[in-house]
Amino acid sequence: MIISLTVNGEVRDVAVEPHYLLSDVLRDRLDLTATHVGCEQGICGACTVLVDGQPARACLLFAVQMEGHAVTTLEGGAPSVELRALRAAFHTHHAQQCGFCTPGILMTFAAYLRDHPDCDEAGVRAVLGGNLCRCTGYGPIVRAIMAASAALREVADV
Amino acid sequence: MSEREAYVGQPRPRREDHRLLAGLARYVDDIKVTGALHAAFLRSPHGHARIVSIDVTAALELPGVVTVVTGEDLAEDVTDLTVAPPIEGLRPTSMPVMPVDRVRFQGDLVACVVAADRYVAEEAMERIVVEYAELPAVSDMFAALRDDSVLVDEALGTNLVARRVHRAGDPEARLAAAPRVIEAEFHQQRQTHAPIETRGCIAQWDPGREHLTLVIGSQVPHPLRTQIVRRLGLRDSQVSVSSPDVGGSFGQKIALYREELAICALARRLGRPVRWKEDRMENLLAACHAREQWCRTRAAVDDTGRILGLTLEMVEDFGAYCFYPANYISEVVGIILTAQYGIADYGYEIRVALTNKCGVGPMRAPMAMASWVMEGTLDVIARRLGLDPAEVRRRNMLADQALPYAMPGGETLLDVNCAETMETALDEIGYAAHRPHDDGRYLYGLGLCNVVESTTYGSRFYKNSGIGGSGHEAARIIVEPDGTVSASVGMAAAGQGYETTFAQVVADGVGVRPDDVAVTLGHSDTSPYGMGSRGGRGATAGGGALYLCAAEVRAHLLRLAAHRLGLNATDGLGLRDGRIVWVRAGGSEETGLDVADLARTAYFDPLALPEGMRPGLEFYRTYDPPPMTFSNSTHACRVRIARETGRLEILDYLVVENCGTVINPLVVHGQQAGAVAMGLSGTLLENVVYDQAGRNLSATFADYTIATVADIPAIRIIARATPSSRTPLGLKGMAEGGVMGAIGAVANAVNDALSVVGAQVTCLPLTPMRLHAAIHDGIGRAAQGQEG
Ligand code: FES
Ligand code: FES
Repeated sequence: MIISLTVNGEVRDVAVEPHYLLSDVLRDRLDLTATHVGCEQGICGACTVLVDGQPARACLLFAVQMEGHAVTTLEGGAPSVELRALRAAFHTHHAQQCGFCTPGILMTFAAYLRDHPDCDEAGVRAVLGGNLCRCTGYGPIVRAIMAASAALREVADV
Repeated sequence: MSEREAYVGQPRPRREDHRLLAGLARYVDDIKVTGALHAAFLRSPHGHARIVSIDVTAALELPGVVTVVTGEDLAEDVTDLTVAPPIEGLRPTSMPVMPVDRVRFQGDLVACVVAADRYVAEEAMERIVVEYAELPAVSDMFAALRDDSVLVDEALGTNLVARRVHRAGDPEARLAAAPRVIEAEFHQQRQTHAPIETRGCIAQWDPGREHLTLVIGSQVPHPLRTQIVRRLGLRDSQVSVSSPDVGGSFGQKIALYREELAICALARRLGRPVRWKEDRMENLLAACHAREQWCRTRAAVDDTGRILGLTLEMVEDFGAYCFYPANYISEVVGIILTAQYGIADYGYEIRVALTNKCGVGPMRAPMAMASWVMEGTLDVIARRLGLDPAEVRRRNMLADQALPYAMPGGETLLDVNCAETMETALDEIGYAAHRPHDDGRYLYGLGLCNVVESTTYGSRFYKNSGIGGSGHEAARIIVEPDGTVSASVGMAAAGQGYETTFAQVVADGVGVRPDDVAVTLGHSDTSPYGMGSRGGRGATAGGGALYLCAAEVRAHLLRLAAHRLGLNATDGLGLRDGRIVWVRAGGSEETGLDVADLARTAYFDPLALPEGMRPGLEFYRTYDPPPMTFSNSTHACRVRIARETGRLEILDYLVVENCGTVINPLVVHGQQAGAVAMGLSGTLLENVVYDQAGRNLSATFADYTIATVADIPAIRIIARATPSSRTPLGLKGMAEGGVMGAIGAVANAVNDALSVVGAQVTCLPLTPMRLHAAIHDGIGRAAQGQEG
């Protein structure tokens, strides 16, 4: 069957079977490989994308459910201010080693920082609990997110 | 050799980050190969069974299925893996690429489907009909070592695949004569690496050139190529191994596994590209496990807590198949156990058992248990004698003047500052004011763990220990015609940041800017043959080889520059950020020449080269590190355990470390914190569980829990680094000691807290359930620290 969905701002028509996962369709049919698959069970968070602006696990969605919806991946069109701030802070704070978990974390917090401009560390930690990272021990990730949040507030205050 | 280290030591953010953060990284599964077929493996649901028959008819009928093969089919194309190094007490083992008539663990390979896509391959897999005759399984290593046990590998006639004994001095005599003998036990649970990127590969056979290309996340592209070539009956020149971005490995991506070899064989057989991506369940069930070890120490001590003699008894569960010599992991624990303590009379006995479980391999700090066992033993001694644990450590610790010290395990300890790291840690953690106590709601404890981390193993170590293989590393540096410096080494990164740190090393060695150094790794055709990434050898072996190679480049460029400047000798000339300068007291002066000028001469105007200098600028250098380099550290933590629930909280965690010269503090800090986190995750949470029939009960991330952000405390890292006296730049290595220290520090802190209620734990992981039982049911009470 053919479904029509918006991916990174572009309307795409894709031929899928009903049992195809969104993560597979993004990666294999649309060549958007920034969305990583670490468990296919909704636990690791590596596959997190935005669906209509909200974080969702692409491995838990069937592609057919996306008919008429908008999906944003890390490759995304023009990056949001949140994503730009996160990228800069992740680089400075060495918040990724192998980088496999990183796209899911960036997408999760691009939405979180947008919706919680005044977030505190406890809130960040609570949300980050949904993403597994085997390399960093999480400390630098928390520091980077807090730094990105502070940088965004500074920009907003100017 | 260089006038100064300008870039080594700088906390430079990594150049790798851009592609990772932009979503432009390329992991194996991101790489498109036109026309590639997809493979899926049918795996055994039983812990141990005879394969009676396999019927693939229905699977082959499914549209899109290209072939289905069994172990019997593939045996024609691939030779068996024989692990038989000449090591006393090690029994040789052998395994085919896929089992032919008997499966030995749940998840063992039964058949492989190759189809147009993964969905079809998996559907076809479900249509394969296998008749099994289930056999009794043995999933406990102690049971496996009993005479009446089921045999895992019938060809062996026993499950005792390795037994190793080592003696220095006369520990038995010391034990017999000692005023006191104190025993302690330690049991570490089975764990697995669980990189967030699972295994996977793409094999392509070019029938015209008769050449195989394997794209695979690997720590060791060249040794992997050697394995493939041997198993497939090819020549080295017929195989290329390419490791792209790798989503974590931690020791899991070293061996050539059976799945990967089967994919290579199928690509050759079919003449078409074949790819495979492991799912998480396969990864947890059947990739590679680690760490299941039991130890008992017996220490002869005097009344002051001084150890007069020590023995270690160790049993390891190696699972169903040997991808490595079975003594190799435990042996290192035996070799380094005594660490910085002066114990002349020491012996170990190691027994390694086969069981009906997934095969094991090295996992980040395969020798991790050593620190917990040694430091835990010291704590038991202190408790039994009513002494202060730090004081007992001081009484046994070697004085700095005693280094280098011939350890009773056979290696030479030097360049460590254990007393300094320990005393600093004691101050920082507030040791003097601490007493284990109970406030009615919580039990409070403090744990210490001194770590001596064996980081880099040179060829001499392998030779001495009979393990075989080489510890050298190889570097190649090309100054390109435009002056860019291209550097490579036989290592492959999985997040360690080599592209950044090696550029810093080469920049200093040659005398150019890091931005002018390109580091390319992970391809067997373009990197020199090296031993790859394992243990903590990245900096010392890889960085060392590159630095030595870079020094040759620099000397060559300076000779060329001198000639261009009309000089007979290079005296007074230097290379600074790619420019040839006159080195003057208090500064330097430009000569007007730079590396690009020299490169143009070397490539395009060879007649302008000095007498005897050949055109071109390519350099190759190997480096074999000392037999063993050591880093050291002290870990200390304070914990509290809730009486009601057994919940453990880490209130403060710190590491005082000495890893030698630091190339990039940002990267080193990241590696150290990551290692501590992995150690904590293993100590607190992770557990591969099998039932008696050999069924794996922990093959999802819901059951095999690894640490989330909520489980990892803030980790304070305090540097007390001293350079190595024997390696280029004084590099030592690190990245594993954090695991070693975390296990010991937390387990010791927990037992300090439990001592208030007279309880002890000797088994990991330290789950709330286990701790609750220890507090309330007396489980484990008095089990630790019996006097013999
Ligand atoms: S792959 Fe989707 S949560 Fe792990
Ligand atoms: S950086 Fe490797 S899993 Fe997070």
